[in-house]
Amino acid sequence: MPTREVPAPFVPRSESFDALRTRFDALERSSGARALAVAVYDTETHASLRHHADRWFHAASTIKVAILLGVYAAIHRGWLLSHSRLHVRNRFISAADGQIFHVSAERDANSEVRRSIGKMMRISDLALHMIATSSNLATNLLLDLVGLETVQRALDELGIDGIDVRRGVEDDRAFEYGINNRVTADGLVQLLRIIAEGRAFSTQLSRAMLDILHAQEFRNGIPARLPSAVRVAHKTGEISTIAHDAGVVYPPGRNPYVIAILTEWPPEGTGRSAMIAEVSHTVYEALAGETAEETATEEPSGG
Amino acid sequence: MGESDRFPLRIVDGLRLDKSLRDVLLPARHIHDEQGVMRRLPRYFYEIESWDEALHLSVSPNFGLWEFIQTDVREAAPLRAFPRYIPCAITMLALCLEQFREAAGTFVHIAANGGYRSPRHAINTNATPHCWASAVNIYRVGDVYLDDRDAIERYAALARQSMPGAWTRPFGTNRGEADDQLHIDFGYVLSIPRDAPAEQLGFDAERRAAS
Repeated sequence: MPTREVPAPFVPRSESFDALRTRFDALERSSGARALAVAVYDTETHASLRHHADRWFHAASTIKVAILLGVYAAIHRGWLLSHSRLHVRNRFISAADGQIFHVSAERDANSEVRRSIGKMMRISDLALHMIATSSNLATNLLLDLVGLETVQRALDELGIDGIDVRRGVEDDRAFEYGINNRVTADGLVQLLRIIAEGRAFSTQLSRAMLDILHAQEFRNGIPARLPSAVRVAHKTGEISTIAHDAGVVYPPGRNPYVIAILTEWPPEGTGRSAMIAEVSHTVYEALAGETAEETATEEPSGG
Repeated sequence: MGESDRFPLRIVDGLRLDKSLRDVLLPARHIHDEQGVMRRLPRYFYEIESWDEALHLSVSPNFGLWEFIQTDVREAAPLRAFPRYIPCAITMLALCLEQFREAAGTFVHIAANGGYRSPRHAINTNATPHCWASAVNIYRVGDVYLDDRDAIERYAALARQSMPGAWTRPFGTNRGEADDQLHIDFGYVLSIPRDAPAEQLGFDAERRAAS
């Protein structure tokens, strides 16, 4: 029986990371972005790349990964079951002054959760909508249920810094008061790495979170310029001056790497997704390009 | 009234239920309402064996029992499993809602957590008539979602006209107001059906249980 040779893993050299950082600087200058931060952790080689990775950004919807962790922390502690049901109600309390606010339909991509107002939905379904279609209503419902403290405690217990959860989404009064969720590229990579490595509470719960991240429907960032065979479990985030994407990339034939690409823009700035896709593609080429090419050109072996 | 016409749910004395259930139903106990007034909770409950039973049992011509027991994960754990218990006032509440439904001329949708919920439901801050099964939150009437001032005030007026004695929560976003559903209640109604078990525990036992 013929045996197939497994290609040796590609180990990125430090000079290739230096070249990447130079490339990111050039991209940042040419794109018109105000800031670009990139963090990468390669589970295959254990190499890390950090480019302004400790700079704080408004989290936009990437904070939903932390809230997902908080929900699964509550499941881990037995407070919830993934099939527990929650009343869908569009009424939340501002972190700024306790006033009531609502998630507007115009600013929420998901209509399925909105159609369930007055009824109940399963926690697992709300978690899926929070990530896959970035439902703001689902996000606030879940955060309201588990509480900020549970989310932050879960991050702290897992030793994750660089993620600061202060409030739900669409809380305009909190925004006016400067109360915002913040992340660093490092922080998001730490969080996603723990999930990808099965260390978020249990292998089973980590797997469940990864499955949800794999269901992401907005694919114009990290996955946009990667080969179609590459799976990506990720979460995007975009507001007026912010565009982010962070996820776990699974190239064929090698272990995954974790990447966070955070960008800040002037309000009129364009080409945000294209820049994130370019950074993602550049990192992919450096880490997995050769492996992917070898995998792609392998002749099928006889039976 | 023949045997076949009898309301099929068994009436139970809450004071005789297991401790785990007594701890969450708080039968005959006193709790404060939002004004600080002490209110006595119901002692007698209908026992619901299964979701299937709730789904198929009508408590009035147009309302099923299931509509009044839809509580979410914040309900006390013993009451998220069957058998479940609901205060006996539920049948009168359902009959009143029939009046409202007839006046509205269309379907009336009760919100989750908007029928009976126990005193230990995590969203309660004080005694609420929901714990007496004498209140409902309505989020939709026909195709109209009750999520703005016009819809809520219009149907609140209809509720008060069609159900004399009904109280409706004012529209608004402050404490004690609602802006995404219509709350209707009849206060702290205690219902003791004729075939409720005799109050055999005696005054001292009941006082101990209620303290």
